[in-house]
This record gives sequence, C-alpha cells and structure tokens, in this order.
Amino acid sequence: MSRAAPATTFAQRPGATLAPRAYEDVPYEEKLALWEEVKADPRFPDYLYGCYECGICVAACPSARFYDFSPRKIAQAAAREDVELIFEQMNDDVWNCSQCFSCDRCPRQNSPGGLITILREVAVRHGLASSQEALEGYGRVVYKIMTTGTQVSPDMLQPDAFPDWGPDVKEVSDQLDLWRRALPPETLHTTSTGWEVSEKTLLELYLIWHYSDVMDMIEEVDEGLHMIILDVMEETLEEAGYEI
Amino acid sequence: MGSDRLLVIGAGPAGLEAARLAASLGSQVLVVEKRDVAGGMPIHENYAALTHGFRDAGEAMSELISAATGHPNVELRTATEVTAVDGSVGDFSVTLSTGTGDETVDAGAIILATGFQHFDPGRETQQYGYYEFPDVITLADAEAMLKANNFVRPSTGEPPERVAFIQCVGSRDRQIGNEFCSKVCCGISSKQAIEVRQQVPDARVFIFYIDMRMYGYWENEIYWPAQEEYRVNYVKGIVTEILSKNGRLLVRGEDTTMGRPMEVPMDVVVLAVGMEPSLGTRKMAEMLGVATNKYGYIETPHGELDTVSTSVPGVFAVGAATGPADLDDSISSAGAAAAKAVALLRGAEVTV
Amino acid sequence: MTSIIPVESLKTKPFRVDPSEAPTADIREALFELEEAGEIIVQRVPEPYVEVMTKYGRTKKIPLGQTWHHKSCGQCGHIPGYSTAIFWLTRKLGYDYLDPKDQTSCTAWNYYASATSNVAAQGGVAMRNFAAAYETGYFPIIHCGTSYGHYKEVRQEIVHHGDVREKVRDIMSKLGKPLVMPEEIVHYSEWVHAVRDQIAQHQVRDFSDIVACVHPACHYYKLIQEDAIYDPDIYGGQRTATVSGLILALGAEVADYSTFFDCCGFGFRHILVSRDFSRSFATMRKIEVMKEEANPDVVITHDTGCVTTLDKSQFAPQAHGRNVGVPVMSDAQFAALAMGAHPYRVCQLHWHSTDYRPLLEKMGIDWEAAWIEFEKDLKRLEANEIEYLTWEDVDG
Repeated sequence: MSRAAPATTFAQRPGATLAPRAYEDVPYEEKLALWEEVKADPRFPDYLYGCYECGICVAACPSARFYDFSPRKIAQAAAREDVELIFEQMNDDVWNCSQCFSCDRCPRQNSPGGLITILREVAVRHGLASSQEALEGYGRVVYKIMTTGTQVSPDMLQPDAFPDWGPDVKEVSDQLDLWRRALPPETLHTTSTGWEVSEKTLLELYLIWHYSDVMDMIEEVDEGLHMIILDVMEETLEEAGYEI
Repeated sequence: MGSDRLLVIGAGPAGLEAARLAASLGSQVLVVEKRDVAGGMPIHENYAALTHGFRDAGEAMSELISAATGHPNVELRTATEVTAVDGSVGDFSVTLSTGTGDETVDAGAIILATGFQHFDPGRETQQYGYYEFPDVITLADAEAMLKANNFVRPSTGEPPERVAFIQCVGSRDRQIGNEFCSKVCCGISSKQAIEVRQQVPDARVFIFYIDMRMYGYWENEIYWPAQEEYRVNYVKGIVTEILSKNGRLLVRGEDTTMGRPMEVPMDVVVLAVGMEPSLGTRKMAEMLGVATNKYGYIETPHGELDTVSTSVPGVFAVGAATGPADLDDSISSAGAAAAKAVALLRGAEVTV
Repeated sequence: MTSIIPVESLKTKPFRVDPSEAPTADIREALFELEEAGEIIVQRVPEPYVEVMTKYGRTKKIPLGQTWHHKSCGQCGHIPGYSTAIFWLTRKLGYDYLDPKDQTSCTAWNYYASATSNVAAQGGVAMRNFAAAYETGYFPIIHCGTSYGHYKEVRQEIVHHGDVREKVRDIMSKLGKPLVMPEEIVHYSEWVHAVRDQIAQHQVRDFSDIVACVHPACHYYKLIQEDAIYDPDIYGGQRTATVSGLILALGAEVADYSTFFDCCGFGFRHILVSRDFSRSFATMRKIEVMKEEANPDVVITHDTGCVTTLDKSQFAPQAHGRNVGVPVMSDAQFAALAMGAHPYRVCQLHWHSTDYRPLLEKMGIDWEAAWIEFEKDLKRLEANEIEYLTWEDVDG
C-alpha cells in the first residue's frame, strides 16, 4: 500500500510495547482495503462469529496481564468492523499477542488469537511500519528458518543475545561443537541447524516458499533480508535446474 | 376402532397440569411416569423455592399432584415406562412396561411432557473442575442444600464466607453445541443468591454473567431485590477457570466493566447449568417419530401461533420437552395442549 | 459434614463423556471421505497401537513402533536431551523408529512470531513432511507441541477449505508429491502416555519422594482441543491427562497449583525479541506460584518452548533473590531417568539451566560420578578417539 498520506502522530497508549515511534495515518480507504483483505482470508469465518463481551478470553490471556492488550477488544473491534480501531490494533496491539490460543475457549467459538494471526499476516503483506518494527532484530531467525528448515539453531544461542539466561549460555556456546558430538542421535550433530536436513528436502522447502508468495511478503517487510534469502534459494534451485 | 383416551407421558408440572385440564374438560387421561414419584424435576432434584414466586416447591407440587390425581378422570401410573408405540392419531396403541410386566393401552392423542435434564458440567468448555473440586457445585446441588436449610462448603461443612454463581454454564455455547439460552438460570441464580443471603447473612455473594436475562417481572421481583435488599454483587464478565489456592477456590475471569483480569477467592462456586432435553424426551421423540431440532428438543414446527403441536398428528409436546422453559411457560403450554388434545379427541377440527 | 443430599454422591461418580454427544464432527471421518473421493491419501496408524480416550470421549490410536520422528527446532537446538530421551525410550522398549533427515521444521514458531508466511505455505510445509513420512512407511510422531497444534490447524484448513486444499495440492504436485494426511496427529507425549505402564515396569529408580508440578502445553490442548488425551481417572476427566498420567504411573506426586492453565510465556516472538515479557510471566505466573503453593522438586512439561521458557527464565529472577529455582524437564527425560537413563549421556541435562542436581540426588542418582563418566566421553571425543557418542556408548 502507498504511504502518501501526511504523517499524523497517533498518541502512544500506556503499556504499548513497540518502540515509541508513531505510525503514519493513511486514508480511510486504505484501512478499509486492509480490513477487506483480513475478511477474505479463508480462516476468517472460523475465527470470528460474534462477541458477547464476556471476557473469558481476557483472563486466560498471558499478554493481557502484561500489556495494555485485550483479546476481547480485538474480537469486538472485528465484530463491529471498526476499521479505524482495527488499523490501530494492526499497528500495535497484534504484536503483543503470545499466540498461545488460550483464548480459544470462547463460547462463541471465536479465536482472537487466530484473528491476530491473520491481522499480522496482512500487516506484513503490506509492510506496515508496525510489522517492520516488530520484526526488527528478528531477521536472522526468518533467514534461518527459511534457508535451513530449522529455527534458532544451536549456534544462535550466544551470550550477547541471551544475557539474561546467565553464564550457562556461554558455557554451551563454548562447548558447542563437542557437546553436539556427544549426542547419540545421528541427526543431532549439527551446530548451524537444529538437526541435519537433507539437501533434497531443502530444495523442496525453497520451492514451497517460491510457489506460495512468501518471498513477496518478506520483500515488503525487509528488502535486505529478502535479497539474502533469495540468493541462497536461487543458488540451490538453479543447481537443481529450476529457473526463478 | 379409535380411542378417546389421552395419554400424558411425564408427570412433572406440565404433564400434571395438562392431565388436570383435559380431565376437567371431560376426557379420560392416563399419566405415565417413569420415576417412582410424580412432581418432575422440582421434586426429583429437591428444589427449595420456586422461581419466580419463592413458593415452597414441595408444597406447590403436592398441590399440583393432588389436583391431577384427585380428579376421577385421571389415572396416574408411576414407575412405568412407555416402551413401544404403534398406530396413529385417534388410534395409538402404547406398550407400558413396569418391573412386573408389559401392558398395551390405547390412546387417541398423546402429550409429551418428558422435560429436561441439567447440563453436566463435566462437558463445559471452560475449566471449572466440577469433578475435581467438592466446593464447585451446580444450581441443583445448591437447591438441595438450600432446601435442607444448610448451605455450606461441601468440603468442610462450614458456612461459606464468599459464594459465586457463574452463569451460562452449558448454555449459549457454540463449542458445546448448546447455542440456546436456558432462560431460567439467571432467575434461579438470583433467587438462590437471595436465599444464600437469607440463610448465611454474613456471606458475600457474587454473580458473574454475560447478560442478565431477567425478563418481565423477574426484573423487579428477583433482580432488583437481590441487588438492592440482599446486596448481591453482579459482575459482568464470565469466569474463565477455577483452580484451588490455599484451600479455597480461585476464580479467574475478567471484570469487563472495569476492563481488567480478576482473581478472587471463593468458598463455594455454583455453576448455573442450563437445560438439555432429558433422556426421556430423546427416547420418546425417537419412538414416536416426532421431529427434533439439532439440540434434541422436540420441534413444534407450526410456527409461533401453535407452540404445542409436533410433526406427528395427535402428538403434542409441552414444557421443557420443546426447549428451555420456566414453570410459567410449562404450565401455559400444558393448558394449550390439553385444549387441543381434547378437541381432537372429540373430533373437532383443530387448526395446527 | 452433615449429609447434604446429592452433592457428595455426585462427585464420587466419575465423569463419563459420551462420544455420541461430541460437539464437533470427527475429522477422521472427513479424511476418509476425502480419501474415498480420491482427493487425499490417509496414512493409517500402523499396528501395534494403543487406544486412548480424547477430550470428547473418542478413541485415538497411538502407534507404538514404526514411528517417523518429526523433530523440534527448540528441542534439537537447545535442549537436545529432550529428543535423545524420546529416542532412548523408544529403543529401550524395543520399538522400531526412523529419525529422518527428510524433515523440515513445521515453521510455525516463525509463523506465530512474525506472520511472514501464509496458509498455502504452511500447508505446503506440513504436507511435504507428511508425504516424506508416508514415502518411508513410517508414521509421523511429532515432538513439538506447536508443530502438533499447527498441524491440527493445517488439517482443519485442508479438510474444510477446498480452495486451500487445491493450492496446497498444486504446490505438492510441483514437488512431485501426493497429498497425504496421517490418520491421527500424534504428539510424542501421547506415545509416552500410551506406554507409561511399560515405562513403569522398567522403572529402576524410586520416585515416590518426588513432587512434580505439571505444565501442560497450550498448543497441545487448547489449540484444536479435541485431539488431546483425557482420562476420567485423572483430574476427574476435567484436564488433559497427558504428562500427569506418566508422573502418577511412576509413583511420583503430582502437586497442583493455581496457575495450571496459564501459558508459560513463550510468546513465539517474545522469547526472542521481547524476553522481558516471557521472563516475567514464567516467573510470576508459573514458577513462583508453584514454589509458593507446592514447592515441587521439578516441573514436567511436554513442549520445547515451555521447557526453555520455564527453565531459562529463572536465572535473572534468581539473581534478584526471587522465590524461584525449580528444575524443568520433559516427560520423556523424566521417564528416561526413571528407567535408569544416564543424566548426561541420555538426558543431556547439562544443557538445562536451573539446578537439577538436588532432584537427581533425590532420585538416588550420583550426578558427580555421572558427570565424570560423561567428561570421559567428552575427552575421547576431543581426542578424536570417537567421532560421536553413539547409542552403544550410552548403553555400555
């Protein structure tokens, strides 16, 4: 989507978790288009029926205890089709959700968590500033999962990235090669992936990314990341005789 | 051939009232009741006071039973089950089974007054632990304690300091499949909340609800007194889960008015379980071939102007066999069915 | 207490759930219909299997052997003893299994963290793995709670949305693979639950003094609830029986606490980029509550993310003098220890952070001697006397 509209600063709400950076307002039509895209997702009818405002989802929600966040308000805004509020939520609240799906016990069978999955996906697809912010510092993980087929490999557990996990992180990282060799299962001797994934498997994974438009989503949120991933994929695919 | 006898299946409030009225209109009525005693759920489940009038349930039911059985045209058979039905309108042949044997009787029309059962909270989508915690009870359990004038924490036998009612347990829930409102639970909970305050004046009583459905006079007869005279606390927000903490129940939910999660200790939690069609309602519907809705209640498919005729000519359904109903509704539908059934037996054209 | 009419008698009656009253349609029937229509292949659970009861009273088949181990990013990456223990148990009980290289992550950790994917891609990843399992003749058994939950979501989408099914089918045909769905989606902890009595028969360590708190994984029993195992004899059928059933079978005590249903705080993106949330939640809503109310020797859970969050989050609060310090491990590691597994060679506890040594002592394990043994292994590896530690080394 274009971001031609003049920047309007939205007041940051207390408890908001993203960096205190304002996001840009856009014309109502663009917000409406985003909402229409959310509603067009095949999962949408299973994730939102109507909302009683009973709050059963809120007391189950870990994020509601920590942030100014309410799965009930997510469901309610969607049920009311409050396009302005939904846009606000897409730019902030949705990234607070833990995606634990504790809210799935809704008597109306709503899934506020599932709704958030869709809202986030649309935010990413359109490169909303919130998705870029939310994913800051996260690019390495996306790179890892998309190029190796496993996430957060053993060698990513470094003390500088996990200072709050104490000195054990350093010990693991110092001993990593040796300790990985001390694992009986043959597939676990790896350090740059969680387990050994065959090349043929990776090739198939890249084809899935290619045929499902995931690469376009990555390009919207992080062009640099997109280029790096594409490089890796292209090399493997071209060697195997695929043209991208 | 043909028969001018009316068969009423079920001797709860609706069945008894239908029998009494049909008999008063001159018909011969046979009432069959599976249980050993008549009076239906108010007797079987030890109801204390009736909702909404606070009348003693046992006394009111005795009155209804004697009004029906005292009529010379009414024969009541308890501990008797209907095990087969043949024939059609005007000429049904019905097999009745008792512990000692079977008997076939004829009937020209049938009224199904087979009622409801309480929702089993083992099936709720929330995590209320009914089968885990002795102090989590249902409206029916509470009713029995209130009737005995001994409302206590089941785990200790001591009077509770804090009591919570949770509304809509097993009702209005798509995940369970009971999408309907059970109509009576808001009123019964509020009635019981008043009774708890009367019997245990020091107890604090809370009602957690989605919507309070206190239509008509229930508003000023029950809801307002509960709030204004008995200081029952109504909290809009349904409870998410119940666990145990320091020997008490921990109730976790959202106070939606205040917009924040809450965790409060309770001594007794009463689950306002809703209604489901009774096993008898399901069985009789199947045996008679009457259409039921997706919840298993008997359908009255002729629109809002005929609330008692079923899909099978000559078979009527009353009370909670057709859907959640309070006592007033049950008694009213019994009257309508009795009139239609008697007219039918007399050969009158009854528009359904 | 005075005898109050039905309250007591009601509670002594176990809750019996009737599958004919299940509020959902049985998705397996839909799978078989799609198979009948030639749309998909349904991979059958191989024999022998154990039948267990799920949430709505239905029966679920848990395969014992011939299992294709769908590994887990977090387990294999940071708490590898988790996976090692699962394989070790399978070997010890004499069941055949496959540890495939033709397997990717389900990629759901990333999806729930960043949303940088979509339904078709997620379906493609899932169905590629299922097709890979099918090609081997081994039945997928899923190590990760999130993979298990996500695959149940994917199954819903593929079964109930023809357009999603066609998109995924199109991708799969470009990979030259058929659309295959396993008859049951099985989590490894369900396998552990199914063989818990066998595990107990092989138990060599006394756990009767061990007090454990259970943390059930959200994606196991909240995300598509109906596949999770329930048992009327455990929590009166009101909570999932998985994990708790094993602990009870091993003779340890399951101690309850008032935040049992709370999430661990993993948060998918939070554990990586907003860890203050994960840490606070794991500490204040889980570990501190357990400590205060039950003072357990150990927390047992059945998902990668939960073990990581609950274990690693304790370092910082401990440094601040908060009431934490409970070791965390998976049911598989706990079961393996009961059956005599080596705490380092098999359970790989040196990858865990919170001090587990007092627990080992309570289990009658000389962890100092065990560590010396393991260090000898490490020296041999370092000297390149052996390339890797093998199952033979472990068993010897």
